[in-house]
Amino acid sequence: MKLRDLLRIANRNLLRNKLRTFLTIMAIFVGAFTLVMTNALGDGMKDYVENQVKNREGANILFVRKKFETPNSGRKADEPIEYKEKTQDEAGNVVDPNSYSLDITQMESLKKDLPEIKTITPRFDIDGEYITLDGIKKYKLNLGMLSEGIKQKVEVGSTITGTGEIIIPLALGKTFSPDIKTLIGKDVTIAYEVGQSGEIKMMQLKIAGVATKGFMANGNCFVDADSAKRIYEDQHRNSDGFNKFWNFTFQLDTSNDKRIGEIKRKLDEKGFSAETFADQEKRTYDAIGILQIGLNFFAFIALLAASFGIINTLIVAVMERTKEIGLQKALGMGSEKIFLLFTLESILIGFWGAIVGVIGGIIVGTFANILTTAYLSSFEGYSLFSFRLFSIVWVILLVCVIAFLAGVLPAFKASRLNPIEALRYE
Amino acid sequence: MLEAVNLYRTFTSDGVDYEVLKNVNLKINQGECVAIIGKSGSGKSTLMHLLACLDTPTLGRIMFEEQDVSILSEKERNLLRNEKFGFVFQQFFLNGRETVLENVLFPLRIRGMSQYKMIRAGMDALEAVDLKAKEDKKAKDLSGGEKQRVCIARALVGIPKVIFADEPTGNLDSNTGELIEKMLFDLNREKGITLIIVTHDSDLAKKCNRIIELKDGEIIKDKIKKGKKFEEAQKVDELTKTDSGQTSETSITS
Ligand SMILES: Nc1ncnc2c1ncn2[C@@H]1O[C@H](COP(=O)(O)OP(=O)(O)OP(=O)(O)O)[C@@H](O)[C@H]1O
Ligand SMILES: [Mg+2]
Repeated sequence: MKLRDLLRIANRNLLRNKLRTFLTIMAIFVGAFTLVMTNALGDGMKDYVENQVKNREGANILFVRKKFETPNSGRKADEPIEYKEKTQDEAGNVVDPNSYSLDITQMESLKKDLPEIKTITPRFDIDGEYITLDGIKKYKLNLGMLSEGIKQKVEVGSTITGTGEIIIPLALGKTFSPDIKTLIGKDVTIAYEVGQSGEIKMMQLKIAGVATKGFMANGNCFVDADSAKRIYEDQHRNSDGFNKFWNFTFQLDTSNDKRIGEIKRKLDEKGFSAETFADQEKRTYDAIGILQIGLNFFAFIALLAASFGIINTLIVAVMERTKEIGLQKALGMGSEKIFLLFTLESILIGFWGAIVGVIGGIIVGTFANILTTAYLSSFEGYSLFSFRLFSIVWVILLVCVIAFLAGVLPAFKASRLNPIEALRYE
Repeated sequence: MLEAVNLYRTFTSDGVDYEVLKNVNLKINQGECVAIIGKSGSGKSTLMHLLACLDTPTLGRIMFEEQDVSILSEKERNLLRNEKFGFVFQQFFLNGRETVLENVLFPLRIRGMSQYKMIRAGMDALEAVDLKAKEDKKAKDLSGGEKQRVCIARALVGIPKVIFADEPTGNLDSNTGELIEKMLFDLNREKGITLIIVTHDSDLAKKCNRIIELKDGEIIKDKIKKGKKFEEAQKVDELTKTDSGQTSETSITS
């Protein structure tokens, strides 16, 4: 028997009792719809994170800090932490094992064992006052730094390549000049406070680029590491913990995953935690993934309930069609064809339920996106629901598989019918 | 062509065995028109189902074209029924929502025949039962007699060697019944299709050229028409007891 014929017969059988088929499909629809929406919600978040995170890159970059003593390393969360005596290293620096802050010389000494490290940049904590292009009109300045080796995506110009450079956000760039291209290479003046004194210091920087919108780059200006260092020293020279840092950025001479893995392992042995951009991304993705699995779980329950609907519908159909099945078998239709016919019917129910669910999901999701844009304006480029082809195909396939599984029992029952008993069936 | 050798069929219900067929031996030749008669419950349908490979005997063998069908696989038996046998039942078993033509084509769809050949065969079969004009009608809209004619067309469409008819006129009035009978006999005469009819109707039986009467699962009469009279057929029991009867016994013990 040809598959096309079986499909046609399966379709006709479903149309026999339209209301019953419709109701069964509706049950599947609810499950499929939920699954589409929960997936789209997760994908929306992933899209957002992707856009934001991909704004910066650097395959040879490691973010390093001292490992925290985590509660799961054998200590209960509320247990008091034991004090460890301070020591001195070979260079005569005081090493405080109780603190998470480290000075640059301590970090530089890592290079001895790890020659792959090209540069080490501490994360300088800097504060800006204002920025001005023409010296007259001033804008409030949120200042950050771009560690050596990290590339910032730009609309025009380039990422920072030398010292005395700055990258400005797109909105600021457009305020400076409608044609942002003309800004590249121009000098801007930034102002920052020195210490707690209130004294203002200026610095001239060259605009290297105008940043593409993204998580960090939406409101911040970024300067190169050297300029950041100068500002940091001006601002913190007299404060406690001067030149002690929690976070460092390592630029490596390799972007080979295996070698980076090796370096991470060595750093781990020395008591450091090291993450690449990919690790950071993965961490966020994993969090979203877990959320998505949690949400999908509820959709699954809806689908499970719906699959009992399929089982029920088909078992009733087997009973109704006992004589017909008997005749089909008498005329030489094999058990496997009967089995196939019933599973095709259940897959068709699943398929149509999934299709309606997908269409419904996309309609509802698109409306929801339009309605929520106003509320989500602070998250630029974030839409609540994102419909990825992959997720949609995945949902349809999954629902079809679940429907198939639901169809197995009735199909098996039908295929096992004895033709003469089926023909005698009252 | 079709042979039953030491056939037994036992049904078990509620733990009790019912011997519905006991030591049935019979040999049907190509082109014969056989009526199986007997009281209700005598095992006529059971015998027909066994001969038609719809059921398997508890003991004994069915031979079709010198081939022991009990050793065939499920698939081969399906193929045999589909290609060599046609069926007409007392209840029509038509799919009312499908068209007349589609009902007739069903055995060929199972066979996986090409659309063009299938439709030609279907139209030929409908022509033979004089229903060509109603090919597009839904089967449920036909009269009882027309429905049975569709069934005959369906039995005929695959050009079978044997048509099994279980009380084909049981649900019809006598005039319509006679029309159906005539059609079946015509097929037997003109196309040489072997006809095996299970019936209560002694008038119908007398029109066949062989009558097999069952009583309590045993053949009590087997008469063949010679001219206008029926004569006792050669006892198959005696014929087979010497050879196949013993071989089947030895094959069980070995
Ligand atoms: N599947 C079965 N299970 C149990 N008993 C059965 C089964 N099929 C037939 N029988 C029994 O076998 C006996 C013969 O049945 P069969 O249908 O062959 O009779 P029949 O001669 O065709 O009768 P009728 O003229 O009423 O159709 C009956 O007593 C019936 O109850
Ligand atoms: Mg009967």
